[in-house]
Amino acid sequence: MSTSRTVQNVIERHQGNSLLTVQLPHPMPAQVGLDLSVDQPASFLDYEMVESARQAVESGQTHYVDVPGVMPLREALAGYLGEMGASGYGAGEVLVSAGVQEARFLAIQMMAGLGGEIALPAVVHPGVRKAAGVRSLKLTFIPTPRDRGYLPAVAEVAAALAAGARLLYLESPSRLTGAIYSPDEVQEIAKLIARFEARVIWDQGLAPWVAGRPYLSLGSITDVADSVLLIGEAWPGTGLESLMVGYVAAHAEWLEPIRSQKQIISICTSTPSQYAAVKAPSVYRKLHEAQLGLLWALRERAVMVARQLGAEVLDGSAANILALAPADVQVAQQRLAEAGFVVADGATFGAPGSLRFAVTPDNAVARALCHLA
Amino acid sequence: MAKKPKQGTDLLYTLIAQARTYNDTIIMGRGDPDFDTPPHIRAAAIEAMKGHGNDYSPPEGILPLRQAIAGRVRRINGIEVDPETEVVVTNGGQEALFLMVLTAICQGDELIVPEPNYNTYADAMNFAGGVKVAVPTYASEDFRVDPERVRKAITPRSRGLLLVSPNNPTANVITREDMRSLVSLAQEHDLILLADDIYDLFMYDGHEHVSTASLPGAKERTLTLNALSKAFSMTGWRCGWVVGPAPLMAQLKQIKAAVNAAPPIAAQYAALTALEGSFDDVERMRQTYLRRRKVVLEALDAMGLQYGFPHGGQFVFVDIANTGVGCVELVQRILDEQHVLIYPGSSFAAGLDNYLRMTFLQPEEKLREGLARMKIVMDKVFAEKGSRS
Repeated sequence: MSTSRTVQNVIERHQGNSLLTVQLPHPMPAQVGLDLSVDQPASFLDYEMVESARQAVESGQTHYVDVPGVMPLREALAGYLGEMGASGYGAGEVLVSAGVQEARFLAIQMMAGLGGEIALPAVVHPGVRKAAGVRSLKLTFIPTPRDRGYLPAVAEVAAALAAGARLLYLESPSRLTGAIYSPDEVQEIAKLIARFEARVIWDQGLAPWVAGRPYLSLGSITDVADSVLLIGEAWPGTGLESLMVGYVAAHAEWLEPIRSQKQIISICTSTPSQYAAVKAPSVYRKLHEAQLGLLWALRERAVMVARQLGAEVLDGSAANILALAPADVQVAQQRLAEAGFVVADGATFGAPGSLRFAVTPDNAVARALCHLA
Repeated sequence: MAKKPKQGTDLLYTLIAQARTYNDTIIMGRGDPDFDTPPHIRAAAIEAMKGHGNDYSPPEGILPLRQAIAGRVRRINGIEVDPETEVVVTNGGQEALFLMVLTAICQGDELIVPEPNYNTYADAMNFAGGVKVAVPTYASEDFRVDPERVRKAITPRSRGLLLVSPNNPTANVITREDMRSLVSLAQEHDLILLADDIYDLFMYDGHEHVSTASLPGAKERTLTLNALSKAFSMTGWRCGWVVGPAPLMAQLKQIKAAVNAAPPIAAQYAALTALEGSFDDVERMRQTYLRRRKVVLEALDAMGLQYGFPHGGQFVFVDIANTGVGCVELVQRILDEQHVLIYPGSSFAAGLDNYLRMTFLQPEEKLREGLARMKIVMDKVFAEKGSRS
């Protein structure tokens, strides 16, 4: 069988796209081992949420729904954002995405436009590079010092803007380390955004897991909220992880092209998932504080163990992840793999030499760390 | 500056939004079956939420579902695929087509597309920066995709050929002979074939569905999409797939992971139950559509309208040239005056101002009422014009 030259060209073109071929910390089937590579701890859905989905599908909610999502869920998401301080986003300014990667893709591609430009932290979730690689964007990278948990310093953000960047992608917390901007830094970034008339895609998906330090969303600074597009997962820890519910919140004018593109990609987010998520706020209120306390305590314990083992602990404030720089990352990876653990490789984020462990309620991170001794 | 009139997908969603403002709207445009998802599939989804709530899925979908899809395309479409490497589960047929286009087409590449066609192909092409090369089809030929016209559209920049059978919106079914000719053309000019099989289970009047990839020499260069939406009335669940040769599917999988994750676990288990179970519900729906088609076509005959005869699918594409009114104006008038939503042909391709797309996707009684309301407007239109010719 001869190989088609056209097929071969297509393959070579895609394989030559170094952004597109970035490996994500793929969720692994459970039987492969203990998966500590995930962004959010997985948990079973609460009965209330299952029941909400059941009632919806039994009553005929099995058809297409509005592209941006069902209104009760968008209202709930607007409330969720408001609880995080970003109260300027109404239900009409929220779109329900099929998970956070779709939110990233829609935000990056539609805000930048074909052939557009975007400035990214040099260390950022690999899904960002991947989303940018689907069609060529001009990327500039903002330096990310290791001693800040790979979060760009405000001065570097200012330098990027001074150099001409007008669309930024920022994570707070960092998806690799959980490092966050302080409230003062967020205020400074807001001033820069206003001064340079720039726009920011702000990934705050891990913000609910911040502990020990105050968190401020850039979307909560009302002076610049019109220039800030928020993305993230909704109500983490309620079991929605497997149902793929994310959000994009933005000024209505920005949301319109994103809505159009969402229609082109997937028409709407899965209806049963949306109806399960409608009940997530009450479950979240019941569970979250205890979950956050537990994960933070487990993380603090893991930090101590990691230090005793000689690993460098990277700065972070998110209870659900722990990033380490072991003395020999390859040896560490090999030992973890032999023990059946899967962790996220910092190299795919742009930080070779580091590993990210998910902190989960079963304290699997402690068992994993034992293998680094 | 005057606001640009809405077109394509945006126009359709504007019409849908208006239709929702009436409490007696009859929708005869949108491709959303009126049947609810069969009960055993709904139950499977709820059980999955309980039992697999903390499972993550790989981006290409859970293996049992990929195995079921491989079994389905082997059994029904005559396509042999390896579920490990040649199947990717998608968030519906829509995402499947988006991924197929992005896999095959880059900026400046040409994709040959018989017209009219489903409007989001153009949207996906625009996103990729590709160039759509339209091959016209005509109501007088039942919208047949003529291989000779396709041949004339091929240029050195042609990268692929899109084949949709039964077609949306024309309902044309590509015959085995024509499909063979089209595959031969693709081999001769080294084109990638993008096949949309989403209506493959809805064939009428003894016409056969021929899957492009099932023909000799086609599989190595064909990406085929399908979904649960139409066959199992699962439009809201968002679960579909692409199958194709492993080297191309590896690239499609990379793009898939960049765009979004796998469908929700619950939707995947619902899809698995649908594919592993009986297809009796699908056959019942097909028989129902067959009866409804008769109702619609008889009403169109009574109104004095021409159409391409729909031997498959869930639509009829109606020629309104004899009304002397453009499709957007006519659709708007039917919606404003009678609260019946029909899709304008121009939303499927430029220059199709003389066509409407109507579906069979309402209960018979509702269809009859919608058609009666439509006739009121059509009678007025013809009266204003002075004749039906």
